[in-house]
Amino acid sequence: MDRRDFIKRTAALTAASYVGINLPHGLGNLAQGADAETWVAGTCRLCGVGCRLELGLSKGKPVALRGIADSRTNLGYLCMKGTLFYQLIGHPDRLTQPLYRARKDQPFQAISWEQALDIAAREFAGAVKAHGNDSVAYYGSGQCLTEETYLFQKVMRGGLQTNNVEGNPRLCMASAVGGYLSSFGADEPIGSYADIEKAECFFLIGSNMAEAHPVVFRRLLKRKRENPAVKVINADPRISPTSRLADLHLQFRPGTDLALLNAMAWVILEEKLHDPAFIDDYCVFKAGKGDTIDLAAFRASLDAYTPEKTAAICGGNITPGVIRTAARWFARSAGTMSLWCMGINQRRQGVWANNLIHNLHLLTGQLCKPGADSFSLTGQPNACGGVREGGGLCHILPGHRPVVKDALRHQVEDAWGIPRGRIPAKPGLHTMAMFQGVNEGKVKAIWINCTSPAQSLPNADLYRKGLRRDDVFVLCTDIFPTRTTELANLILPTAFHFEKTGVYGCTERRSQLTPKAVDAPGQAKPEVWIVREWAQRLAKELGDPVIARTVEPFAGLEPDAALPEAIWNEYTQKLTGGRDNDLRGATYKVLRQMPDGVQWPAPTEAYALTGGTVRKFVRGLDPIADEEAKGSDKPFIFYGPAHADRKLYIWQRKYVGAAEEPDQDYPVYLSNGRIVDHWHTSSMTGRIPALMRANPYAYIEINPKDAARLGIAPNDMVEVESRRGKTTFPAKVIEGPMEGMVFVYWHDMDEERMINKVTMDAYDPGSKEPEFKISACRIRRVSGPKALKPFIVKL
Amino acid sequence: MKRIILYIMFFALLIVVLTACAMRTAERPRTSGHPALSEQEMLIACQDCHAQATPQTYRQWHQSGHGMATVKCYQCHGTFEGLRTEPSLDSCAVCHSGQWEHAEGQTCWQCHPAHTFEAGK
Repeated sequence: MDRRDFIKRTAALTAASYVGINLPHGLGNLAQGADAETWVAGTCRLCGVGCRLELGLSKGKPVALRGIADSRTNLGYLCMKGTLFYQLIGHPDRLTQPLYRARKDQPFQAISWEQALDIAAREFAGAVKAHGNDSVAYYGSGQCLTEETYLFQKVMRGGLQTNNVEGNPRLCMASAVGGYLSSFGADEPIGSYADIEKAECFFLIGSNMAEAHPVVFRRLLKRKRENPAVKVINADPRISPTSRLADLHLQFRPGTDLALLNAMAWVILEEKLHDPAFIDDYCVFKAGKGDTIDLAAFRASLDAYTPEKTAAICGGNITPGVIRTAARWFARSAGTMSLWCMGINQRRQGVWANNLIHNLHLLTGQLCKPGADSFSLTGQPNACGGVREGGGLCHILPGHRPVVKDALRHQVEDAWGIPRGRIPAKPGLHTMAMFQGVNEGKVKAIWINCTSPAQSLPNADLYRKGLRRDDVFVLCTDIFPTRTTELANLILPTAFHFEKTGVYGCTERRSQLTPKAVDAPGQAKPEVWIVREWAQRLAKELGDPVIARTVEPFAGLEPDAALPEAIWNEYTQKLTGGRDNDLRGATYKVLRQMPDGVQWPAPTEAYALTGGTVRKFVRGLDPIADEEAKGSDKPFIFYGPAHADRKLYIWQRKYVGAAEEPDQDYPVYLSNGRIVDHWHTSSMTGRIPALMRANPYAYIEINPKDAARLGIAPNDMVEVESRRGKTTFPAKVIEGPMEGMVFVYWHDMDEERMINKVTMDAYDPGSKEPEFKISACRIRRVSGPKALKPFIVKL
Repeated sequence: MKRIILYIMFFALLIVVLTACAMRTAERPRTSGHPALSEQEMLIACQDCHAQATPQTYRQWHQSGHGMATVKCYQCHGTFEGLRTEPSLDSCAVCHSGQWEHAEGQTCWQCHPAHTFEAGK
């Protein structure tokens, strides 16, 4: 068939689609999703938006998913991933029995759970006895249920006495945490998605939300289409599908956004667009590590970022005029909402970049009012709820408690009924240090839960070397084979979403329950059962009754509902009271009644049943703000735990470029990110045929001017090489990345197309989050188009 | 003699090519009305071909709310093997279950033209 024939035939085919009204359904079974007989409400398994949905079951088998129209997160919408992930339940590739090998060059052998748990306990206990408590580590995920993260970190800290508790949110959200804590004194956004429908101006920076958070983007799209006067500014070195919504696209040289943000602040002050009353009432100016300065000193520090000077720094399409326009739109709108994600967070100066966005909101008072918020988007469904709130990072305990604070640490020890001093005061190894520790053989046993660092760490080959060591015991809990299970000694099969019960906390401080609806395949088990059984064996191996005490409250509980509920109750009732993420009202009983969960703070069940707190710190809307007001006549009370002075900080932060800028040898900027059809390392989405077909392998996007200069045509094979490694991709020649920059999709797990073999592992000194988004590379055409095959790791 | 050899070579080549083409066609699965595609062609995103094959439909979709929000062809029409020229209303219901009462017994696209999905007629 030639192209003309193809066009002719497809044209006829498409014309037919306008004609037919022969419905396969009567209205009686519309929206019933295939043959579903029953529907079970839960939350989407994939990104951080927190879409509520229903799983359709026919004869007990999952057959469909559909959005819940009453949900305030997604208003009924789902993306293609949220529509199709039911296909992973009962997928033929699922891990269904424990697998073990003593050495990593041996084949895996199927073993029983008894044997597997004994091995896990023996190896971790053996490492502790021989090399000390900090020779063991847990590396979890923003996809684990809160109950799972909470119980893992409890056993590691209270039982094994190590703070080597980390998770992949370090790779995506740590800079946002650092930004919120240092600017507002409290982690997580002040406002909600509900601000989208009130905003008059959107400032999108470092986010391709059309693909990474498509359902939230749809709310922005609706807002803009129904209200064309609403302004949308999109700041990104790459023109992406998100840019289609923009009135103003700011395309700058990668890494120069710190200068751009300072320049917008300069314009706001120069043109007196700031809000002096808001600043006087609530803000202080800070420099360095926290020295207080005045407005004049802050203003003077911005003189290095006049629009003229900044346009020269930023390059791209940045002119003094567009900087002024962006600043004016931002400051003058009735409500401006900033949204950002990995383009800001995955940076060597990620915390500072977050601070500079917050600065714009603080200078203009674009905060705590409808449609105004500085809103960090989250990449994973439970990075906020489980890891940030539940104590899943090396420096924080449950309830946003820094581990270094004696009083807060003792609160946790008392709640757990373990001796004071049991939890070490020193933070554990952060993610990059943890895998460096694996490389050096200092970490002797590591438990990797529900994530694939062998693919998702930057400079991945370096860290895969460590994971291959035979003197490092690697335990993986997962549902599918991944690049990381390939390096494991012990693989434990786990239950998937809707095969177990638990809570996810999404971007907008919202906790939502997903109940068990179907049985896990084979011998797969919920993680909470696995941890409990492991801890009991550990206690025997080490002869330490305190380890057993960490799981004693949960002994004998059935794992599908009673066990996770008991864990949730312990966490929320004992450890969130008096904290900013007060979840005492968000009991399972309440969560079961709500179409879309509860936003914290929610101190009582009666309050939680109203939906919780839509906007933090606002009296009349936030019960803690009301309680903390104590005679204040101000409408906002900033009670965040990190700022004892209850002030918001406007930070002086200078522009610092990327850790690795292009040079003569590696002259091109390399960036990477998601595409809409896939998620993370594609271990799930790659196993859904429709999604895999839609985007079967990663591409490299190249600006047409660069392509012409290098003789690269569409679909030619292009090698990307950095100081760390090289990979090869088919080319997409597109006005996406700016000239001098390439962009690669990061989901592909094919050995030849794993972009993290090339990316940079420098990290932010404060947040310890790596600079995935910018590194230097060189590219060259290696051949014409080549037939490629999609690839997924098999056992 | 040279001419005979050339004829023989030409026909031999022709047989090889035709046999290869026949095998290639036989390997290609067929489905409801869509032209046959090879395994490799099936890995091309629908919209990449249809931007050229059916440009008007592509433009309508691309400029629509669905196109802007990256709601793709396969979400309504399925992929190659399960292609539905006319989508099942179940695929609409995934996101628009709240609109069924408003539909009053009609299909969505009777009022909201397919691919543009503009406001009701």
